[in-house]
Amino acid sequence: MSALFLRRSPLAGIKQITETIRGAHAMIEVQGVSKRFGQTLALDDVSLSVEPRSVLGFLGPNGAGKSTAMKIITTFLAPDAGTVRIDGLDVSERPLEVRRKIGYMPENVPLYDDMRVHEYLAFVGASRGLSGGRLAARLEWVAESCGLVSEYKRPIRELSKGYRQRTGLAQALIHDPEILILDEPTSGLDPRQIIEIRDLIQELGRTKTIVFSTHILQEVEPVTERVAIINEGRIVADGRIGELKRRAMGGSRVIVGLAEPAADALASLRGLAGVKSVMPLVDADAPTRFELRGDGDAPLDAGAAALAREKGWALRELRESPFSLEDTFIALVSRDAAGGAAHRGEVRA
Amino acid sequence: MRNTGVIFRRELAAYFNSPIAYIFIIVFLVLTAGLYMTPFFLQGQADMRGFFGLLPFFLLIFIPAVSMRLWAEDRRAGTFELLMTLPLRASEVMAGKYLAALVFYLIALAGTLPIPITLGILGNPDGGAIVTGYLGAVLLGALYLSVGIFVSGLVRDQITAFILGAIACFFFVGIGWVALFIDGWIPGLGTFLDGAFGLSDHYESLMRGVLQLGDVAWFLVLAAAFLALNTYWLEGRKHG
Repeated sequence: MSALFLRRSPLAGIKQITETIRGAHAMIEVQGVSKRFGQTLALDDVSLSVEPRSVLGFLGPNGAGKSTAMKIITTFLAPDAGTVRIDGLDVSERPLEVRRKIGYMPENVPLYDDMRVHEYLAFVGASRGLSGGRLAARLEWVAESCGLVSEYKRPIRELSKGYRQRTGLAQALIHDPEILILDEPTSGLDPRQIIEIRDLIQELGRTKTIVFSTHILQEVEPVTERVAIINEGRIVADGRIGELKRRAMGGSRVIVGLAEPAADALASLRGLAGVKSVMPLVDADAPTRFELRGDGDAPLDAGAAALAREKGWALRELRESPFSLEDTFIALVSRDAAGGAAHRGEVRA
Repeated sequence: MRNTGVIFRRELAAYFNSPIAYIFIIVFLVLTAGLYMTPFFLQGQADMRGFFGLLPFFLLIFIPAVSMRLWAEDRRAGTFELLMTLPLRASEVMAGKYLAALVFYLIALAGTLPIPITLGILGNPDGGAIVTGYLGAVLLGALYLSVGIFVSGLVRDQITAFILGAIACFFFVGIGWVALFIDGWIPGLGTFLDGAFGLSDHYESLMRGVLQLGDVAWFLVLAAAFLALNTYWLEGRKHG
């Protein structure tokens, strides 16, 4: 420690001490990053932080800025404003050191089609400073853990989509990086392959810091609790999935299904205590299914059951319907769009 | 140095992994040797001036065909992003690619060595002129390739890289022809451009067997300038 202080300015030493007191710093620290491509603002004041040895699911519709953010984290692009620190190192000041720490699988998994799988992996390994026995050991490890042994000597242009994806992942893992940045690692895979990749990410997440992006929401929940949702270049939500659902949706949801259409069903359901809104589902003229939204914690299903008994309705369905990540996502993204529109209106006025 | 070597080996292998490389070398040899040998038998002179005289025009087509893929292919396939996130300096990647293209050209050029050997057997050629002629051919290739790799970085499409590369290289040959026209519009400009960028003076003196440091330096300085521009572009691209 003291040797460290001698080489640095006193101020840096103090910073070091405060950091030590605060505990381990974030592995990935994105602060106020903006990036513009011509007229489009691809990233607008994005901040994110990822703790060591944790997995962040990076969600967003296509074109939201996920890939741009990852390109900046991996030093492929430089931010117009803001800073990115990887394990404390600024990406603009020390890009080579940052790149050494990161394993990156870009979108669409670019590979050299003219090479064989093992040649390609050896090339990336050598570019990352591996050689001799260490390179051989790492090649063996990635081939094994990414399930590439059977295709190891095949030309890359002959590989199926699934094996291309695995080769891309193996390439990102070859130097045993502390950080993995995976841009849509499961896109275009079949369900069995998706599960395999998902398990591998989960497994690797125990020892590495991982950010993976996707626009398929079901892929996130089994892998990690921590998500960040980006829309039109802005982070619209960042936190644990359960928390986000509660915050975004506010309250609960119950589905009521009647055997026969009842004329006063809609009005009666609206009159129930604790009901915020009722939406008829499927048939608009003679609805038999309704979605009830509650604003508080009052159990809507009990109220609806009592109402049905009172009115003599035959209930075919009555159940609480928990919000899915899709609902949360759509709510957050559309709220953001509405907020953005209001904001733009303000600017015009 | 080691990093440049890694990229160099992959790029050189990429040339020979595709059949285009072999077709390229065969066509290059058939055309250059064929077009040279036809008048050779008519003239009956044991020198290679005809061969070296044709090269600046042949290479206008051949060199951009070698260099067009250097960046354009990576940018189209997306492997550019992979290369630029490896812990290598932009200049190291650039140097590896350039040297691979240069070595590929040297291999094709080496295929013409049976010509001077035949001349040596049949007659008594001026060995010095042949050596400086080959030096000129190497320098010419190095210059055209530096232009080609620079142009390849600016576009995504290989065909565009080829055409722009050929046009850019043609500038060195063509400026001498139009210098007087340009002088007619803006007095002195044509002469200045020809003096600075005209290929013929420097190349022809090497062809004649005259080895001057200035001529060699002209090629090297211009090639270095285009390679520096290429590296500059690679580093500036991040902010685009």
